[in-house]
Amino acid sequence: MSDPILRAEGLSKVYDGGYRTVALEGVSLEIPRGSLTCIMGPSGHGKSTLLHLLGGLDRPTAGKVYLDGEDLTSLGPNRLAEVRSRRLGFVFQFFNLLPVLTALENVQTAMLLAGVPRREQADRSRALLRLVGLEEKMHARPGQLSGGQRQRVAIARALANDPDILLMDEPTGNLDTRSEEDLLAHIRAVHARGKTIVIVTHSESVAAMAERIVRIRDGRVVDGETAARRFTNGRPGR
Amino acid sequence: MTYWRLIWRNLTRRRSRFVFTLSAIAVGIASVVTLLSLGIGLEAEIRRQAEGLGAELLVTPKGWCAYEQISVLTGESLPEALAAAVVDRIRRIDGLTAVPYLTQRAVIRNQPVPLVGVLAGPMKELRGWGLARGEYRLDGRHVVVGHAVAEQFDLHVGAPLRVRGSEFTVAGVLAPVGNRDDLAVYMDLSVAQRVYRTGGKVSFVAVRVDDVRRIDEYIAKIQSAANVAVVSDKQLLRSVLAIVGSVGNALQLIAAVAVLAACFGITNTMMTAIYERRREIGVLDALGAKKSTIFFVFVGESAVYGLLGGVLGVAAGFAFSYVAAPYIGRDEFTAFLGSEQSVKVFDMGITIEALVFAVLVAVLSGLYPALRAAKLSPVEAIGYE
Ligand SMILES: Nc1ncnc2c1ncn2[C@@H]1O[C@H](COP(=O)(O)OP(=O)(O)OP(=O)(O)O)[C@@H](O)[C@H]1O
Ligand SMILES: [Mg+2]
Repeated sequence: MSDPILRAEGLSKVYDGGYRTVALEGVSLEIPRGSLTCIMGPSGHGKSTLLHLLGGLDRPTAGKVYLDGEDLTSLGPNRLAEVRSRRLGFVFQFFNLLPVLTALENVQTAMLLAGVPRREQADRSRALLRLVGLEEKMHARPGQLSGGQRQRVAIARALANDPDILLMDEPTGNLDTRSEEDLLAHIRAVHARGKTIVIVTHSESVAAMAERIVRIRDGRVVDGETAARRFTNGRPGR
Repeated sequence: MTYWRLIWRNLTRRRSRFVFTLSAIAVGIASVVTLLSLGIGLEAEIRRQAEGLGAELLVTPKGWCAYEQISVLTGESLPEALAAAVVDRIRRIDGLTAVPYLTQRAVIRNQPVPLVGVLAGPMKELRGWGLARGEYRLDGRHVVVGHAVAEQFDLHVGAPLRVRGSEFTVAGVLAPVGNRDDLAVYMDLSVAQRVYRTGGKVSFVAVRVDDVRRIDEYIAKIQSAANVAVVSDKQLLRSVLAIVGSVGNALQLIAAVAVLAACFGITNTMMTAIYERRREIGVLDALGAKKSTIFFVFVGESAVYGLLGGVLGVAAGFAFSYVAAPYIGRDEFTAFLGSEQSVKVFDMGITIEALVFAVLVAVLSGLYPALRAAKLSPVEAIGYE
């Protein structure tokens, strides 16, 4: 496959707290630059684990993860934190936002952690909230936002430092159909701007817009085909 | 967005916990400040009184303990203990001036006031007194009073004063000198001995020597002339400060317990906060926070607790020592504090020390919780239920 931005090689993850759980076993895959990939599979079969390993949030028991050819598994914790801060954006199913901060401050915090000066933070954060259609809610706390709005803030925040890749773990898992549609529109818009997106999902409507679907079962990849046959706007990787 | 803002938002999210933890720190720091400010005031006052002694040597009966030595400085009444013959023998030694004191108590308007029987001439010379009003006259009908006593009881020149059934007239008011001399009534020694029926005895003798370099020689001479104890003003100061210091140590222990309790309060609050916020720590991890950043954010919260608690504690501590000082001037240790000027109500040195101390102990208390927060693995912190 040409020019993968993210590449996993023989990833295994074994949890050994009390009794052994093999969450992932020998997973190899490539995420093409600019693609929109869905990871699907039954509950408890290792999807989140895979996403965490791809994003450098956790370390594999065996195997390697390459981001643009750089081996993430060999990086020290500080360097890895830097990679997460500048090159990756995460969106989780729930509890994404810091509850004591406003929507704007949540976005700004991601910039703060990347060392963006205060002056720049405000303008860029506002622009990102505008992108997800929440400019008028920027001073609201997470508790004052709907589930869908919170996820949109989380997307704005994931984009804070203009990362190359967005990693999302069931971002619509908590949303009703309408909010899901709305969020997907925003995700599509972000994708259209050239971001590589990896989404773990159970939802068929999310999967419907994917260019590729990686199916996981029992910690192994069972099907990594290209979804060119799908009728959604399958744009080729850039 | 700044780290301080993040810290502040996190601190104040649980108002009551914030307030209670802050109160604990404030109490701890307040007790330290009270102690320091009273202690410093006390020591300064003791030094001032010791300087005001005006004599290099103090002749006392053998076996006087430090409490009685303190009374020499505070002007508390002391038992008459040195016989007239002893005083005479000391006075006959060449090269020194011996000034006997008979310290007793008079009652003016139902309040105890120190009364000192003295030899008019030598005493005035020793103390270097001046007169504010009236004349310096001590005899069977006249007394002089210290400036503060005159003010407190509104004693003008010519005012009658009844001491143990005998009538006296206030002949003069001494100029203020800023030590215990301001707080006593002065009577001729032999008259006082008669009024208080002490025979020819006195309480102690202050000795001023002509040549301070030969002080040890004088001590030996006095001790061979009479069976008495002789201490130098420096020894006296040292032993009094030692006693005050030992009382201070006990109080410091109490303050230390208060501070320790506050420390545990901070640690406990931070541990609870970290447990509650472990998902948020995971979010920060995912956003690319370094372990050191998370550590800093949590230690920063503790530090702010320390700073705010310190500010409140300093204010409360000074307020307390201001209010409390006059009420604890009722025993030998603290009698010094009775005079208003002696207690420092505000001291920049103490303030800065207390604030630095508060922040330091708060940071120390927050170290362990912050370390735990930094060590939390991101995935565990995110850990979906
Ligand atoms: N921290 C952990 N300690 C021990 N076992 C874990 C841990 N995290 C995950 N596991 C186990 O690893 C396996 C894979 O978990 P993972 O969360 O990746 O599943 P998933 O596919 O994301 O499931 P879901 O769709 O329900 O989110 C599960 O059996 C889970 O119990
Ligand atoms: Mg999962």
